[in-house]
Amino acid sequence: MERMSWLSKLTPRAGGQRAPRSTSLQPPVTADPETCLMVFKNHWAQVLRILERRGSKPAPDDLSAVRNNTYQMLNLLAEDRPWGDGDKDRSQGDGDVACGPILEFVAAENLLERLLCWHLQGDFTEERKVEQLKLYEMLISQARQPLLRHKPVLAPLLRLLSVCAEPASAPLENSLVLLLNQLCVSVAREPAILELFFHSHTDQGPANLIIFSLLIPFIHHEGARGQQARDALLLIMAMSASNRAVAQSITDNSYFCPVLATGLSALYSSLPRKIEVRGDDWHFLRREDWIGVSSLVLFMNSLEFCNAVIQVAHPLVQKQLVDYVHNGFLVPVMGPALHKTSVEEMIASTAYLDLFLRSVSETALLKTFLRFVLLHRHDNTTILDTLVGRINSNSRLCMVSLSLFRTLLSLNCEDVMLQLVLRYLLPCSHVMLSQKRAVRDLDIYGKTAAKFLSLIPRCCRPESPPPPRERDEEPPSRARGHGSPGADAPPAPKPSTPSRLSFFMRQASAAPAEAAAPRSPGPPAGSPSRPGPRDEVAELDRNYLEYLRDARHSIDRCAWACRVWSAPYDGEDPRAPGPTPDPDSPPGRPPGPPTPRTKKRGLPEEGAREVPGGPLGSDEPSAGGPGADPRDGGTLVNGAHGAAEPGRPEGDVVVKKVRRSPQGEGEGGGGAPNGAPRAQPPGWEPLPSVDSLLEELLARVPAEPPGAGVSIETFTEELREIEAEMQNGGVGGAPATPTEPPEPPLSHEEEEAFASFTALPEGDAGTGRAPPRPPDPLAQVVASPPRAVGPPPSQPFTGPFVSVLFGKLENMPHNSLYVNFLLTGLVAQLACYPQPLLRSFLLNTNMVFQPSVKSLLQVLGSVKNKIENFAASQEDFPALLFKAKKYLIARGRLDWAEGPGAVAALRRSDTLARSRKPSLGELLLRHANSPTRARHAAQLALQGLRDGGLHPLAPPARHGEALRVRNAVYCAVIFSEFLKELAAIAQAHAVTSPFLTE
Amino acid sequence: MNPFWSMSTGSVRKRSDTEEKTLGGELRTSPLRASAKKQLPSIPKNAVPITKPASPATSSQSTNGTHASYGPFYLEYSLLAEFTLVVKQKLPGVYVQPSYRSALMWFGVIFIRSGLYQDGVFKFTVYIPDNYPDGDCPRLVFDLPVFHPLVDPISGELDVKRAFAKWRRNHNHIWQVLMYARRVFYKIDTTSPLNPEAAVLYEKDVQLFKSKVVDSVKLCSSHLFDQPKIEDPYAIIFSPWNPAIHDEAREKMLTQKKKPEEQHCKSMNVSGLSWVKPGSVQPFSKEEKTMPT
Repeated sequence: MERMSWLSKLTPRAGGQRAPRSTSLQPPVTADPETCLMVFKNHWAQVLRILERRGSKPAPDDLSAVRNNTYQMLNLLAEDRPWGDGDKDRSQGDGDVACGPILEFVAAENLLERLLCWHLQGDFTEERKVEQLKLYEMLISQARQPLLRHKPVLAPLLRLLSVCAEPASAPLENSLVLLLNQLCVSVAREPAILELFFHSHTDQGPANLIIFSLLIPFIHHEGARGQQARDALLLIMAMSASNRAVAQSITDNSYFCPVLATGLSALYSSLPRKIEVRGDDWHFLRREDWIGVSSLVLFMNSLEFCNAVIQVAHPLVQKQLVDYVHNGFLVPVMGPALHKTSVEEMIASTAYLDLFLRSVSETALLKTFLRFVLLHRHDNTTILDTLVGRINSNSRLCMVSLSLFRTLLSLNCEDVMLQLVLRYLLPCSHVMLSQKRAVRDLDIYGKTAAKFLSLIPRCCRPESPPPPRERDEEPPSRARGHGSPGADAPPAPKPSTPSRLSFFMRQASAAPAEAAAPRSPGPPAGSPSRPGPRDEVAELDRNYLEYLRDARHSIDRCAWACRVWSAPYDGEDPRAPGPTPDPDSPPGRPPGPPTPRTKKRGLPEEGAREVPGGPLGSDEPSAGGPGADPRDGGTLVNGAHGAAEPGRPEGDVVVKKVRRSPQGEGEGGGGAPNGAPRAQPPGWEPLPSVDSLLEELLARVPAEPPGAGVSIETFTEELREIEAEMQNGGVGGAPATPTEPPEPPLSHEEEEAFASFTALPEGDAGTGRAPPRPPDPLAQVVASPPRAVGPPPSQPFTGPFVSVLFGKLENMPHNSLYVNFLLTGLVAQLACYPQPLLRSFLLNTNMVFQPSVKSLLQVLGSVKNKIENFAASQEDFPALLFKAKKYLIARGRLDWAEGPGAVAALRRSDTLARSRKPSLGELLLRHANSPTRARHAAQLALQGLRDGGLHPLAPPARHGEALRVRNAVYCAVIFSEFLKELAAIAQAHAVTSPFLTE
Repeated sequence: MNPFWSMSTGSVRKRSDTEEKTLGGELRTSPLRASAKKQLPSIPKNAVPITKPASPATSSQSTNGTHASYGPFYLEYSLLAEFTLVVKQKLPGVYVQPSYRSALMWFGVIFIRSGLYQDGVFKFTVYIPDNYPDGDCPRLVFDLPVFHPLVDPISGELDVKRAFAKWRRNHNHIWQVLMYARRVFYKIDTTSPLNPEAAVLYEKDVQLFKSKVVDSVKLCSSHLFDQPKIEDPYAIIFSPWNPAIHDEAREKMLTQKKKPEEQHCKSMNVSGLSWVKPGSVQPFSKEEKTMPT
């Protein structure tokens, strides 16, 4: 995202303005000073004659005579130079005011003042005002000597300005702003003049900066006028940085900050309420998208201006402006906007917020935005919680929300991460006590990576490739790696590693692909050795190195960025507030005083299941929320769907029952509901044996619906439901489907999303169960009492963000392609954070979690099963999978053809952005849907899928089915890539350079 | 003895850089210290068994699982992680560098700064078993057999086994071997020696032992500029002090302590954000007390 940089734009503009205008004037008089003075006096004499003809109303002739003479005079004045001439003298005049002869004369006669008086006496029409403004503007901009420091020039000028204070016609305003701008440029060049502006009193009362107060009304104007006004103001702001008096005058005596901030509110209210896009992959506003929407441009200009002001202004101004932005824009406008009830408006406001966050570059301003997002409560729910909850929706709203979180995570902001994830992990209640010290362990042997890779569904593993042409048997690595003797192998610059890896990368592939260029430089255009489609697809199986490289890069970046954080979050520092857990009590723990965790727990998810008066014991299966629609999305606990899918025993449920039994027997049961004979509880074992035990334990994870029979049952069950649902005429009518219905076309979907959304956690939290909070958000966080309701305090909770992400992940096969792009990207982003607490939670497969805490690995395991089940049910799955890969590669290649890593980036979400070339700007407000390159290609590539009966125009039932199949097939591709990415990230963590974090 | 030994890592710097880029990704550390340290070593010939599962012809692959074919990555990364741990340890006077040819072979040199072996500069090679981390403990062989009870007088191999009877993954790391190698020169152990003569002398005639040690140290130093025993682009090579080259480098090392960070910075001018007061877990708890002017 391009960040705002105002000043760079400013400089050329201020300077470049003059040249064209001076050419429109008569060629300057170049006679010697004496002659000039004489001529000047001559003109003045003529004017004087008219001026002194008192009483009678000036005749039109008089007017034009004065006009002409004044014009000549001011031109001469502009050309006037101090005696002695020479540029060197000009600067010498600082202390003692040296003036040119004409200026001297002007001062002596108080000529300008008298002229203005004459004008004011008469009928000072707007036209004449404009004339005067233009004259002064010309004079100031062209003067060869500093004029403004001379009272005889300055005083009439200020008087003229004060006359023009009232709102007026456009031409007058234009001239006024231009003059003001010119004044600011002069003042910026010679800050001493500023004092004079202060001390001169005008009709406007106590002279605060009249220039300034005149400019303020134009802050939010569009077009050149607004731009000039903002530029001019910015110059003053920059001056304020070194001049406290100016700063004080701005904050105390002007409406600058309030006008600027509340102007944002006004501009915001004219933004489109609804972002109309047809592309189903649209998920965030890019510059191309908004540049064509004038109201948005206007808003962005002003926001950009705020950013610039904060960048250059005095801290006093900075602080005032930031406060006003918070209290005058974010809280009263942005807050309610984000909570609008229509999905469309939620989408729009979320996308706007995302855009704003991406655009703001000044830390102070960003801080205000983040503070608003993290701490501000609207209807008792923090904005953050609201946004987190929306990830759960099943629509574009989800995508837009995911984009927003992508932006938030990319800030590497400790406060954000603390609120989103870390504070839930801080108490370490999610791990077994004995495991706490393992938080910092690094997985140096790649066990985690192996684990992740082993979750690649069987059906997605590379097909056994055609027999290799001929493989050199013997020491292939070196021979191949060094010189690449292969006849048609291009001299690849990058993979020149002698390592076996490069060989391995190629060796693992089909022989023909070996001839293809290595991924990194991209297939050379027009190269005869361009791989055929099958080879391209096969590339997917060999892109692990790319993932490793990307992971390394991302982690290094993140680790480097996080060096400014206050603590390492390694399980020791910082300590979670509140009492440390009592080692004697089994996993459950007493409800601590207001640790963030306890406070937080009460918030969204659990509230949904609250039964008035009903004890919510830890032994109550989470599925038992009475009356709760198991699929309403409100029953996510730690990422697990609290509701078991029918016919399928859910791990959590069993585990919770077990938890009451003595610890020794209970803890091991996390992944194995059937309770196979278990060895010692892992919790008490020293690490090595934990390893082995865990290995055993985790080996069961993928088999989570225990026994194939059950899962097939589940699957057929699901199928039946879906069929039933389709018979109902489609998607909307089946709220009680146990599985998330496949995504219907967007319009339906969004309504449905809304429906599901209203049932969502933060809705509940917002119903006012908690007492109204004091207004200071900080105090709220610190002082909020533990909730009386919510999940049993003994139940560790890893936070709503993780819950929602895991829940969404678990649902991957039903998510749309684009949701999965974004979702997996977000999780990967999260996994790149180097903080041991977070890293161990997501990536350490050695950790033993509390039974009720679902691990990423478990979630992924269940996705794997779903995919495998689906593949088993779908006869032509291999073919579909192949086509899906082809399509995704084609899509990635469209705009990545030259870029590196076309394939590796396949599932990266920015590919998504890049693969959408056409500007959304045109789409945004018109309801047009231009066929684009990408879409065209997509259609072509999809042809294959559709041939299999997936035509978009098919009757609803078929369409729903088509969508379901398509989502599942895409999911299989994305999921496999995602696992590789996670594996690479896990590996890269172990080799992060110590220099980055020290 | 010249106190300013200069080390260079062979002639193939350029290659190493490209390789580093390829494998290490955006690994832009100070070229001075890090290109030597951070390059991702390659897998040696004797790692073949690990690569085997990658062979595409095996039909067992589909059942065996793709991940088996990622084996080489695990080995390389494990060793790189081991190396990172070594770097973190900052063992005084111990420097190692994985070989260009094999990640399982590390070149090293140890500087003894006090005690009986003071001024000793001993080059050595670490051999890591190819079934690492499940195999035996790594072997450490000095280029020249140092006169020491625990160093084999013929092969120069240090008795590592006594410290690591059983190599346990997760518990044992290569930095421990290096630390041990350094320690034996400060704290001499004579039980069941590989060099009985040295052991006996140490027990019975320390003076003679000392003079033998001095001889041994001298001998090692006199061979310092020899070509490395194993030819490898990343072998550690000593050369005589050459002011034209080394003065500047030394100057840099001594003055720009902070440089490596900045160089990181160049490649990633990203900075995170934090308004959390140290020790607090509340967002925005760090309030700027004074505004910067």
